[in-house]
Amino acid sequence: MEKWLLKFVHLFDFVFRKQGIDITQLHTIVETKLIMDKRRVYLNWRMGAQSEHSNHLRIMLGLYVLISAIISIGIYTGPSFIFSMTLFHSYVIFMMAMILITDFSSVVLDTTDNQIILSKPVSGQTLFMARQVHIMLYLLLFAIAMSLIPMICIWIRFGLLTVMASVVTVLLSVIFAVFLTYYFYLLVLRFTSEKRVKDIITWFQIVITVFFAIGYQLLLRLMDLESVTAHFELRWYSFFLPPVWMAYTLEAVYLRVFTKVHFIMCLLAVGLPFLLYWYITRYLATNFSLKLSSLASEHSDPVKPVRRHSGVSWSQRLSGVFTKVPLTKAGFELTWKITGRDKSFKLHFYPSLAYIFVFVFIFVFNGGQDIRQSWNGLAETDKFLWFIYLPMFIVANGLLFISFSENFAASWAYHSAPVQKPGQVILGSWLGLFVKYFFPVYLVMLTVCLYKWGLSVADDFVFGLANDYMCYLILGCIGRQYMPFSRQPGNRQQAGRFMLALLQMLIVGVMVSLHILVIRRPILFYAILPAILITCWLLERYIVNIKWNKIAV
Amino acid sequence: MNILQLENLKKNYGGAYVLKGINLTINEPQIIGYIGPNGAGKSTTIKILTGIIEEFEGEANVLGMDVRKEPLEIKRRIGYIPENAPLYEVLTPLEYLSFTGRLYGLEEETIKKRSWEMLRLFELGDKANARMNSFSKGMRQKVLLISGLMHNPEIIFLDEPLSGLDANAVILVKEILAKLKMAGKTLFYSSHLMDVVEKISDRIIIINKGEMIADGTFESLKSNADKGSLENIFTALTGDDEQHQTTAGAFIDVLKS
Repeated sequence: MEKWLLKFVHLFDFVFRKQGIDITQLHTIVETKLIMDKRRVYLNWRMGAQSEHSNHLRIMLGLYVLISAIISIGIYTGPSFIFSMTLFHSYVIFMMAMILITDFSSVVLDTTDNQIILSKPVSGQTLFMARQVHIMLYLLLFAIAMSLIPMICIWIRFGLLTVMASVVTVLLSVIFAVFLTYYFYLLVLRFTSEKRVKDIITWFQIVITVFFAIGYQLLLRLMDLESVTAHFELRWYSFFLPPVWMAYTLEAVYLRVFTKVHFIMCLLAVGLPFLLYWYITRYLATNFSLKLSSLASEHSDPVKPVRRHSGVSWSQRLSGVFTKVPLTKAGFELTWKITGRDKSFKLHFYPSLAYIFVFVFIFVFNGGQDIRQSWNGLAETDKFLWFIYLPMFIVANGLLFISFSENFAASWAYHSAPVQKPGQVILGSWLGLFVKYFFPVYLVMLTVCLYKWGLSVADDFVFGLANDYMCYLILGCIGRQYMPFSRQPGNRQQAGRFMLALLQMLIVGVMVSLHILVIRRPILFYAILPAILITCWLLERYIVNIKWNKIAV
Repeated sequence: MNILQLENLKKNYGGAYVLKGINLTINEPQIIGYIGPNGAGKSTTIKILTGIIEEFEGEANVLGMDVRKEPLEIKRRIGYIPENAPLYEVLTPLEYLSFTGRLYGLEEETIKKRSWEMLRLFELGDKANARMNSFSKGMRQKVLLISGLMHNPEIIFLDEPLSGLDANAVILVKEILAKLKMAGKTLFYSSHLMDVVEKISDRIIIINKGEMIADGTFESLKSNADKGSLENIFTALTGDDEQHQTTAGAFIDVLKS
């Protein structure tokens, strides 16, 4: 596959040459990067080299084909041309942006490149473009996977000419997504001090992720799904939504009409990606590489004098409350501290925390309905259950992330120290995650629900807390157990993840039904609550007694 | 010939100056020992001279070219061997060297010949096709050395190049450096240890907290060592036994308490 990709890159040589980019260097860098991607070996300090995940890319591609097949149904049966096309392009842009922000953020912000390559006679512009091309190649593969089936549907429904035009608009969408993401990064890199840039970018990525999630909601509202005519309403904010530009551009081709609206949309669709591209490569690319390289040059801040007994931190205070054994305490505090400092953990986990609120919003207010109406009618429903169980489900997802760390090799310490019960560390670590992230969210939810439902939900929240904790422990137990922060990122096992997710849903479903049962038969509260507490205790015993040989590495 | 010139070189990191006005002129090929304790600003100086850091105050010229104006041409004619720098670990040494060689625009034949030969001389011949993620620190350092020398640069910047090398390799590298000097190259050698450079350097520059505090041959520095501010730093760099004895004693006492 690499050879084809490289040949494809050669097609654009004339563009690069015009911008004063060294083509030989560019190809060398891209080729090397492709080789490296293919053989990313997951090294584990105890086991030596493990197998290479060359299938990873194929699985991802397959997944996108699958999702696109589902989207295709919407495209094929959609009520109008604009609807189908907006749906299609929203899907492409949304997925692209998500890929860029999550999977490729490390590639975009990689600083080893700079350390290795910038000391060689390579201009910042060449390096920037090489990285661009590298990312673009993957995005192109993803774009093909995403649009293959939809394009067939478009062909059947709207004809060959539309398909050919949509190839162009999909490419434009990809370019748009890439440069918009870059633009965000550059802006941040430009206007902040170098020291805190990585932190800020992490937060930014979280915000962007949430923004896209909410943007998607907005888009669904735009389409009047319920009415039979389902005509697309053009509002002022339609002009800010790239998928709408693309849809109108295609409509101009399909219907061969060319009104003022079509003209503006067309101009935006074609013009803006190129404008962004031109501006970034012209003015910001060199800066980007250099800024990044100065990020990498480790620089110690002026050290503040440390007093030996300078106050007790939050984590220390809380670990005293929630844990007793030294090992559990160690796991608790380690997790508390690293989750707040590790960039990649924050990047993976914090957006999902924000999703709690997005999801609650979606589920509680049921998509299309009027928000005020559903808010007023809320008190008569059982929907507070969402407020109780969604936070737990999301925080439990964090259990997957706390086994990973860039600094995974440091986990040798567990093995060199006389740790007799590794389970104690694991339990401490789980507790840390739960206390740090679940409690605050739960408090917010409690406040909202007390305001809306009154004191009557107080006992539900007591029951819910115990039930949540039990469920959290069960969810932790069904996967494989790892020592906290001991696995190399990128080593995520894809196979079986879907089944695991299904199983998790099922378990949460059972717990929620238990709660509903208690709501129906309040007397059961006094029978089930003690049972849950005992189960929690038993589960904790089980976790504490996990043997070394049961812990996966 | 003006090989290297720094005029009032300053570098500001987040409000604090890590270089506070370095002045330095090198006119003939020689081995410069650039010595200072950790955090003195050694690596920063080298990164400015090699065009990696572009934002600084003052003037920096390498081979008669302004670092700000002609960074690419300078990079082409110098070699940079950083300390424990990252390299692409999933590649084999041959692949990595062919990668960096191409970035310097070397011919394929030259790259192949030179990297193979140099790997063999460094006793990495049998590892030439093994991926570097299993390599030790010393083995990686050797690859970095080759990658920094392969394009036959005129000035070579070395940032703690012996770090992680075993005793034999250290001797070998020192010999190579001496031979490079005889071939008319300038070596700019940065280290926090005096003993590594004292024998091979023609000229030793000591910096501390971003300032140059001494410049001269090892002998001249040694004879001036008891005068003024140089004393402490000099003893620290050469390693004063008495001081260390006391600290070591205190260290053990903590365990007893």
